[in-house]
Amino acid sequence: MSTAAANQAQSATQLDELNALDDEAFRQQVRAFLRTHYPEELRFPVKRLHWAQIKPWYLTLSRHGWVAPGWAREYGGMGLSAAKQIIYMEEFESYGVARAPDMGIVMLGPLLIRYGSEAQKQFFLPRILSGEHIWCQGYSEPNSGSDLASLRTEAVQEGDHWVVNGQKTWTTLATDANWIFVLVRTDRGAKKQEGISFLLVPMDSPGVTVRPLLNLDLHDEFCEVFFDAVKVPCDNLVGQVNHGWSMAKALLGFERIFIGSPKQSAYALKRLLALVEHLGIAAEPLCVERVARFRMELEDHTLLYETFAERLKRGESLGPDVSLLKINQCELYQRITEYMLEIAGEHAGLLEPIDGIRDLNAAGLFLQSRVTTIYGGSSEIQRNILAKHVLDLPG
Amino acid sequence: MSLGEERLESIRMIRDSAAALAPRKDLKRVRALRFSEPGFDRGLWRQMCAMGWVGLRVPELEGGSGLGMAELCALAEELGAALVPEPLVAGVVAAHLLNGTDLADHIAGRRLFIPAWQEWAGSLEFDGGEMRLRDGRLSGRKLFVPMAAGADAYVLSVPHGVAIVPAATEGMSRDLEQAQDGGHYATLTLAGVPVQPIAMERRRIADALDEAALATAAYLLGVAEQAFALTLEYLCTRKQFGQPIGSFQALQHRAVDLRLQLALSRASIGGAAAVLDGEAAPAARQAAVSRAKARAADAALLVTRQAVQLHGAIGYTDEFDIGLFLRKAMTLANLYGSAAQHRARYARLTPSTAEATA
Ligand SMILES: Cc1cc2nc3c(=O)[nH]c(=O)nc-3n(C[C@H](O)[C@H](O)[C@H](O)COP(=O)(O)OP(=O)(O)OC[C@H]3O[C@@H](n4cnc5c(N)ncnc54)[C@H](O)[C@@H]3O)c2cc1C
Repeated sequence: MSTAAANQAQSATQLDELNALDDEAFRQQVRAFLRTHYPEELRFPVKRLHWAQIKPWYLTLSRHGWVAPGWAREYGGMGLSAAKQIIYMEEFESYGVARAPDMGIVMLGPLLIRYGSEAQKQFFLPRILSGEHIWCQGYSEPNSGSDLASLRTEAVQEGDHWVVNGQKTWTTLATDANWIFVLVRTDRGAKKQEGISFLLVPMDSPGVTVRPLLNLDLHDEFCEVFFDAVKVPCDNLVGQVNHGWSMAKALLGFERIFIGSPKQSAYALKRLLALVEHLGIAAEPLCVERVARFRMELEDHTLLYETFAERLKRGESLGPDVSLLKINQCELYQRITEYMLEIAGEHAGLLEPIDGIRDLNAAGLFLQSRVTTIYGGSSEIQRNILAKHVLDLPG
Repeated sequence: MSLGEERLESIRMIRDSAAALAPRKDLKRVRALRFSEPGFDRGLWRQMCAMGWVGLRVPELEGGSGLGMAELCALAEELGAALVPEPLVAGVVAAHLLNGTDLADHIAGRRLFIPAWQEWAGSLEFDGGEMRLRDGRLSGRKLFVPMAAGADAYVLSVPHGVAIVPAATEGMSRDLEQAQDGGHYATLTLAGVPVQPIAMERRRIADALDEAALATAAYLLGVAEQAFALTLEYLCTRKQFGQPIGSFQALQHRAVDLRLQLALSRASIGGAAAVLDGEAAPAARQAAVSRAKARAADAALLVTRQAVQLHGAIGYTDEFDIGLFLRKAMTLANLYGSAAQHRARYARLTPSTAEATA
């Protein structure tokens, strides 16, 4: 047996064993795995890491078959139950594991497994797992954000390929990616949701240009991606032509519970505690009251989150009320960082963390928290969804 | 409390000339100066001096413009709306602390003095006793000295007065820290620097810092007003779902709530300026400043945060201007006392018994 094959067989038995564990034992295993393999210096990074920094870790996960907790075993995933997936995510979060470029794992993989052709699954899934293909998400456009279905990037069929023209924007980590999945308009005449298709495009195709953008935290995290007569083989269209919208939408529930998990607020609260210690105000009555309030809010949020997680664990799908989680998590996270700014004194306005201590990055965390109420469906849009689809209000 | 016609006219003139010197809509200059040294334009600074702005509060007999706080606040607000990085507020503080040729040079723009009063982070104390003066030699540390890289000299608060230290002085080191708005702050560390201290009443320094707090509140109001104006424009032009996003009632209500905060800030700042321009007792003056600064800091952060939110992702890019207003508000909100510090000071200074508030 080759080493690679031997490794595979070994990790297959280990995955069998993991799946057989009870939840608590599984949690311990995940913890042990992280302690053994995750680089200490990458815990709780202050900014989103680029591929070059996170690649070794991704390859470690890949070698152990740990990249894709939610995918079925037959596709190279861990095949974890919903309950274990949540434990996996919680442990990664509480250990401060950096988020790798995960669009392939979290968004594209599940979509291909559900809607892709056999050939697409066979070609793309292993390359996501191995880290050979790094994906980014090309949905938003300059004029189509909240109203995504109005998107105008167009694909026209010419023989055995599509020709794509248009522009995507706010594409996170597009500079790190070598593939992009895009929503494109393939029928201009149809109702706006019904003329959209889902295309897979190599970033090195002639006619693709990426322009990185600095964000407010002065980090080059998102980009503009331009398509100028880009030829894409017809085989790269996922599902049926003009069915891209409903496929993409089917994945949004997961994104909302992902952003709705208490991790960001819990992280911010830790930073807040470190800050009040550093400032020597931890025992001041005003501070005690504010911190207690945040801790209680976090506990309440976590309980709310668990009711949703339970539903997933039981195999139910989430309804539009998952928007409650996303709104509350993001706004709690922001309130915590706003309080950090309030107490940070002159440091609130400095570029570098207080006294050079990485954990005391009040201004940076405050800025980073701003986007959470904008991306993944803004807080305003989530409220619209709740008013309409949960409360059934007229209009 | 309404101002007479004459003062209203002088305020109008100040606003007009500020708008001419620092146009609100052109932030190219402001962007080019960000993260550079000294972070502002000495040429423009001299023009500001020539307009009489740096000596705005200095009596006419001493060569200044002899104008009131209402005028200074109007000016600071205009400069805030244009995100002007030139250190007007620091310059006005320094003018309060200087005399003779130093003062004349400073307000004429020949030499720039920057005040260095702070010894602890998040503190309004200027004579905390961290400076040691022994045999005419000064040792210690001053924090958060604004735009220090452009100064010709610093005015340091020392026990019982101030001392002037030229920028390049042996025994004094200067560490710069970059600020979110593209400016910087210095920590000055002095190790036995020979100085000639100038005796000065505590009150004079305290008053200068109160004026700075109020002027900063006004500057923050300008920042917030302009961010709000740009956001209203965006609400009218940005279309989603086939209509201007400003037509969505949720956003209309949000905009109205922000307008309310701006109106309250303006009222509070105007009221405090009138108190400082009048004859009130020190406690009442300080309480008025605290009320205005706390309101302006909270309101400016709220408005600029919401300005980014209402712009969506484009608001989170560095190349789009709206973020510059948020970063400016972050930089100034806690200077010369945070909202929390000013609320605490207000509570200390004003009785809040049932009878007193009845
Ligand atoms: C950090 C970051 C990373 C991102 N990464 C990606 C990515 O990788 N790939 C990708 O495709 N996209 C990405 N996005 C884009 C994101 O999905 C959009 O920003 C989002 O859909 C909002 O669109 P917009 O920014 O155009 O704002 P707009 O839709 O223009 O909204 C502007 C404001 O109007 C409000 N608004 C709009 N419609 C309504 C309404 N009907 N009622 C009330 N209020 C309304 C919004 O809430 C917002 O406050 C990212 C965004 C950010 C900030």
